[in-house]
Amino acid sequence: MNNQYGDDHDEATVLGFEVPKSPDSSYNNVYPGTEDEARDPPIVPPHLQHTVLSCPSRDSAGSISTPHNVILNHLYIENREAPRSVVALGFTHRFRSKFVTVVLYKPVQRRGNTSA
Amino acid sequence: MGNGEAIPQASESDIEISRHRISAFLSTHTAYELLPESGKVIAFDINMPVKQAFHILYEQGIPVAPLWNSYKSQCVGVLTALDFVLILRELGNHGSNLTEEELETHTIAAWKEVKLHLNGQMDDSGRPYPRHLIHSGPCDSLKDVALKIFQNKVSTIPIIHSSSRDGSYFQSQLLHLASLSGILKCICRHFRHSSSSLPILQQPICAIPLGTWVPKIGESSRRPLAMLRPNTSLSAALSLLVQAEVSSVPIVDDNDSLLDIYSRSDITDLAKDKAYARISLDEMSIHEALQLGQDANSPYGVFNGQRCQMCLPSDPLHKVMERLSNPRVRRLVIVEAGSKRVEGIVSLSDVFRFLLGLA
Repeated sequence: MNNQYGDDHDEATVLGFEVPKSPDSSYNNVYPGTEDEARDPPIVPPHLQHTVLSCPSRDSAGSISTPHNVILNHLYIENREAPRSVVALGFTHRFRSKFVTVVLYKPVQRRGNTSA
Repeated sequence: MGNGEAIPQASESDIEISRHRISAFLSTHTAYELLPESGKVIAFDINMPVKQAFHILYEQGIPVAPLWNSYKSQCVGVLTALDFVLILRELGNHGSNLTEEELETHTIAAWKEVKLHLNGQMDDSGRPYPRHLIHSGPCDSLKDVALKIFQNKVSTIPIIHSSSRDGSYFQSQLLHLASLSGILKCICRHFRHSSSSLPILQQPICAIPLGTWVPKIGESSRRPLAMLRPNTSLSAALSLLVQAEVSSVPIVDDNDSLLDIYSRSDITDLAKDKAYARISLDEMSIHEALQLGQDANSPYGVFNGQRCQMCLPSDPLHKVMERLSNPRVRRLVIVEAGSKRVEGIVSLSDVFRFLLGLA
């Protein structure tokens, strides 16, 4: 049990059981430099590209092919050339033993528009 | 039904037995069965412009979409073809009061408020009465879902799973859009191999009190079946759809032979031409409006059997039910063999009204 107030309080200590002081070197770390931020972020794993969102519905009940497990619970945004006034977000999750893909169309805020 | 010729009517006991078994099936199965193995639901944020929404409905080929409120993180309604019909009529009423800019940005939320106002569902200070979303959960019985759809006179209701974790975080998941056709499909699938348990299914539909029929000579008390000619204006057609509270009207020639059918959902074809507001509903005929939705220009007089699903008065009920299980088919026009004279219409809600024994 680390007692962080140990240095300030006047406690009776038992011989042999004193809490050791933290080594100074652990508090002397240099702040991380900006060269880490210059690197590109890690690439998106390729299996996340296999989304079912582009699947057209086979029937009016909205049946599509079974999604891969890896794409579940990931939020996708539609890749279309700008400017768009409406953007599509897609998400697939499992409900009990069936899969549900929801595609939500949202308006894109126009520049300079202050309305919510 | 009394139509002069002696067509034997289905026996009361056959009807009662069938109704009882179907009711038992619907009460013991849940809405979860309506979900496909892998399903897709398309929803709109309620702050999206209506113009974009109808264009997407047309693009995706869907007649209805649930509405999502991002701030409340929940489903707050649906947008249907009827909304589009009402908007067009409203735009027609106000003429050019709405500028092009306003049309571009007229959101679904704003339209829904206008709609409440039009329906007199606002109190004196202009605040809307709180409306609760009509929906069902995945554990609700199929019978409850069917009754809810039927009694609220809607075509679909969203299936929403509401869960609260720790009682504090309330989560609402949109799962599926349930319709009567999906429920009918469940019924047909279940009873397909035991058709003898539902004796009424073998009866021809002319022997069952089902659907709307053209009254025969001498039956003046019967409500007439609404029909239109191809050169009727679109505004007259839309008014008829709204006033008669029907979802479609057969289009017939001078001999009452079936040519085509105009449905409320056909209105989304107008969204193909983004300038829907500039279309004059009085000047466009329904024939022209239907041309908009067709890829190939089929000449006037060529019958499009795909659009217009027909059946005969002698067809058995189970055949009619199988065909109505297709979500794209919401009604069948009953025609006389050969001449295609319209004798009646049987819709999805007619079948449920009969099977569940509702008024």
